[in-house]
Amino acid sequence: MIHPITLQQGTDWQAQAEVFEEIFFVFLALGTLVGIVVVSYTLWNVYKYRDDGSEPDADFDAPVVGELPTGQGGPKAKKLFLSFGLSAIVVISLVVYAYGLLLYVEDGPDTGEEGDIEITVEGYQFGWEFLYPNGHSEMNELVVPADKRIDLTVTSRDVWHNFGSSDLRIKSDAIPGETSETWFSVSSDEVAAQGGEATFRVECFELCGSGHSAMKGQITVIPQDEWDEWYANTEGDSESASVEDADPASDTDTSRVTGAAIGGVGA
Amino acid sequence: MSELPPTTSIRRWLVTTNHKDIGILYLITALFFLLFGGVLALLIRVQLWDPANQVLSGLAYNEAVTAHGLIMVFWFLSPFAFGFANYFVPLQIGADDLAFPRLNALSYWMYLFSGILLAVSFFQGGTLSAGWTMYAPLNVPMYTPSIGSTGAVLALFMFVVGVTASTVNFLTSIHHSRAEGMGIMDMPMFTWSMLATVWMMLFAFAALLAVGLLLASDRVLGSVYFSATEGGSLLWGHLFWFFGHPEVYIVFFPALGVMLELFQTFSGRRLVGRKWVIIAICLISVQSFLVWMHHMFLTTINLEIKTLMMATTIGISLPFDLVVFALIYTLMKGRIQFTTPFLFAFGALLLFILGGITGVFLGAIVLDYEFRGTYWVVAHFHYVMFGGATALFGGAYYWFPKITGKMYDEFLGKLHFVIFFVSFNMVYFSMFLGWETPRRVFEYNPEFQIFHQIGSIGAFVLGFSFFIMFYNFAKSYVSGPEAGENPWDYSRTAEWAVSSPPPLENWPNRPSYASGKLEFVKDYVPDGGPAVKADENGNAATDGGDTHSDHIRDYPYWDKHPSHASIWPFTLSLATGIMLLGLSGFNDSVAFEIGESLGSTAITVSNAAYPMLAVLGLLGLIFSGVKWGLEEFYAPPSEFAERWPFNGVEKVKLGMWFFMASDVILFGAFISAAVFIRYNAGWRTWEPLTESLPGLINTFVLLTSSFTVILALVAAHRNSRKGLLASLGTTILLGLTFLSIKMWEWHHEVFDRGVTLSQNAHGDPIQASIYYVTTGLHGVHVVGGMLIAGFLFYRAYHGAYLDDERPVEYFGLYWHFVDIVWVFLFPLFYLF
Ligand code: HEM
Ligand SMILES: [Cu+2]
Ligand SMILES: [Cu+2]
Repeated sequence: MIHPITLQQGTDWQAQAEVFEEIFFVFLALGTLVGIVVVSYTLWNVYKYRDDGSEPDADFDAPVVGELPTGQGGPKAKKLFLSFGLSAIVVISLVVYAYGLLLYVEDGPDTGEEGDIEITVEGYQFGWEFLYPNGHSEMNELVVPADKRIDLTVTSRDVWHNFGSSDLRIKSDAIPGETSETWFSVSSDEVAAQGGEATFRVECFELCGSGHSAMKGQITVIPQDEWDEWYANTEGDSESASVEDADPASDTDTSRVTGAAIGGVGA
Repeated sequence: MSELPPTTSIRRWLVTTNHKDIGILYLITALFFLLFGGVLALLIRVQLWDPANQVLSGLAYNEAVTAHGLIMVFWFLSPFAFGFANYFVPLQIGADDLAFPRLNALSYWMYLFSGILLAVSFFQGGTLSAGWTMYAPLNVPMYTPSIGSTGAVLALFMFVVGVTASTVNFLTSIHHSRAEGMGIMDMPMFTWSMLATVWMMLFAFAALLAVGLLLASDRVLGSVYFSATEGGSLLWGHLFWFFGHPEVYIVFFPALGVMLELFQTFSGRRLVGRKWVIIAICLISVQSFLVWMHHMFLTTINLEIKTLMMATTIGISLPFDLVVFALIYTLMKGRIQFTTPFLFAFGALLLFILGGITGVFLGAIVLDYEFRGTYWVVAHFHYVMFGGATALFGGAYYWFPKITGKMYDEFLGKLHFVIFFVSFNMVYFSMFLGWETPRRVFEYNPEFQIFHQIGSIGAFVLGFSFFIMFYNFAKSYVSGPEAGENPWDYSRTAEWAVSSPPPLENWPNRPSYASGKLEFVKDYVPDGGPAVKADENGNAATDGGDTHSDHIRDYPYWDKHPSHASIWPFTLSLATGIMLLGLSGFNDSVAFEIGESLGSTAITVSNAAYPMLAVLGLLGLIFSGVKWGLEEFYAPPSEFAERWPFNGVEKVKLGMWFFMASDVILFGAFISAAVFIRYNAGWRTWEPLTESLPGLINTFVLLTSSFTVILALVAAHRNSRKGLLASLGTTILLGLTFLSIKMWEWHHEVFDRGVTLSQNAHGDPIQASIYYVTTGLHGVHVVGGMLIAGFLFYRAYHGAYLDDERPVEYFGLYWHFVDIVWVFLFPLFYLF
């Protein structure tokens, strides 16, 4: 079931193969199965052993008020341990499996020589500021090129926010005084499929004050050439628009990396 | 001591210290808060009906969400469970009452008045709006400036004080008052669950007390803990969730106990794998302190720690697994009776299974990355917590006949269950379907509107279903059929062996399980001495007596009748409530203009009401405290009891130990906070704010005073009044010396060098806050010690403690503890 997942930069990205969707599906399938088995088994037994008013079996040993529980050779617990063992195996293997994929998500895909784009995201009451390597900043809309791995460094200038996009399956805490990291990547196929410009909803996932509900933004992904043109026109030094040497703002060893890729994950 | 008035008198309910009365008070008050929190929930659901809806403003919505969470978790769930615990734990273990009846009353009144404070906070410019998790720095006045926000924080603080008292009380009772022959493994499962609950509470609530005190200090005094960028936000996260994760089991375990009890009673079977269930419960209690960071997977904690937390989280779900299977197998081969209590308990199991499975999803970090902050989490914890509470409603039906003596209406009960169960799933399952909605957001993606609408309809039906219960209970109380002593076919526990409701002191004679089953034995009471265990013929036993009877001999008033009434718990709580109400507006109404030195500080008061309330409350508090101390209140320990593993420990001493264990966590949290922030700021960038000399002198002063306390005890033991007064007096003098040096140091060494609570001329402001607040907390402990010592001195002057020196001993324990804490603070603030 565990497949080595590699991200191929190129044209043959498979949009549906996301890490999250895969794990979610496996958990959902197994979870539903276990849930249904346990619940129906329980319901069936409860029905079977209902008190229908008939005479109790000869070996039915009714409890009495004031008895002490010990020394009465309570029913055997063998079955208990069998079911317990089975469920433990299910749970543990699920988590081990998910852990393998966590490592991938933490590292991010190998981007080859194309290089990354480093964006600093700063949450504030109530909006998002995106800071580009050339010093340009955008409010509430992040414009990035397709087929690039975008690295986000997330922080906050006031209270605790949480930067996330459900569509892209990315999320990261925006904590004052701390930086956390996440990444995403959108394929040009996806962009083409959405009509030359792919947009994704950005929301805040941590209560941050009266405007929390309205703290929305957008990630817009456009083809590389269009983006190059757009980026060159932003204020700031367009030389550093070659993002190769963009400095990773974070030097802390505690920062965290996570993310997922739309269409970036294939077999 | 006063006599206990009859139940028809209002005074009865103000002065009672009887565990059953207080249990009833808890239950009724908790149901009131259920309605309160429920109304807020309906407001939320109305707002969610349509993503474009704006019934409430953004701020008001946040207040509703926050208060709903706080009320349901703190003011409803736990107190509801503690209502049953108050009523039934003493009955189940064969005790006459809890170990400290007045303290129990105090817990209740603290709970009630803290709830009133919370309600009042809505009218103090709006209550807290930072969510029940109160993440920093949204929880500091800069972002939530209303007075009501401070009021809510102080209400929570007061609630925690009451909880701590209650925790100590239950721990002491269960460990000290079990009837003869009831070993710890023999305790009924509800009592077992409560024992695990209070053990977790002892440590978890101490952490909450610490974090609440720090927040109160930030909000009332102006320290800067949680606005500090040197890790202030994460500090909150760690401390809150160190409390918060155990808390979810704290609210769940009592419900689990009810399930374990009811599954047995209504199937006629004994619990399968009882020993293993108990072991699992103990394991969970310990492990619950090792998983808190699974609430912080998206913060900046590193991968290794996250992995560890993932492992412990999955680890903790395994014992739960076992408990669930034990419950299921208990039903098999039984004769299951589908009464209302059973339906609720069984429904709770089904809901809990779903909640547990979705919890495993959250435990997988990659999934949690996406679920965090969404309705998936909201759905998960409602299934486990409210699902658990479902069993508590089962408990309400189960024990209703015992508490009132009347039977409830079975048809209405079943109707309640059906409507409840269906609408419960409408409300919370729909949340799974629309899980991508961010939590605490009302302008959500319209795609999910249908799910939220199903949820909103379900919520109103769910709310309605409780009125069936209220109607059922009211009607049955007035005109229900007599229930008799034991209306259930297969009940086992001792509460069913006495009349409904049980008499004031519970038992016809002393309950004993010495023969392997419950019996009421009549003890032989020799003239002028405590009871002596009787042999079969009712004569005094001659076989060497009972080692435990020392416990009662220590009580010089053994021949008095136990007391059941005191007004001081009520007045003490009322005074505390008034004081905290005053403090909530203190920061807004009193301004300090600090001049060159402390002496030239100008104080301007813009609203005299708040500071006056604070002072009034403080005076009332001291007055009630003294009256409490002087009141003759007789609550003897049980004469023959099982006390494992605290056999030789006297009752009050045991209580003191428990209390100090929680105080250790309190200081531990303060010290951890200091270390955590300093580590984040760069350990070596900080120098001590003050010279080490005053600290060093103070260390010697305190250590010496520890010694003089021992001398006081020795003197009391030798019946030397002079010696007792002299050594107590010296202790007080040393304590005052410590405080004077401390004041001098704060003033000349620190303050005059430009260091105030929120400013630091020599470095990070947070360092100043930490210094003042941590040494201040210790200082408060010293002041408290001095007050107690002064009280002891006064009593000793009038000849007390010579034949019963235990109060001196307990004070000594406390005093040693205060000194030991200083030994940790000294290097942290003066040397490095
Ligand atoms: C099978 C065992 C369980 C596992 C693996 C589990 C796991 C988790 C995880 C990982 C979270 C954090 C979700 C997030 O915020 O991203 C969470 C949240 C929560 N869980 Fe559980 N849980 C389990 C059982 C329980 C039980 C028994 C209760 C209470 C009775 C409970 C109550 C809660 C609550 C209240 C929250 C949310 C707190 C908040 O953010 O406001 N859980 N659970
Ligand atoms: Cu927000
Ligand atoms: Cu947790």
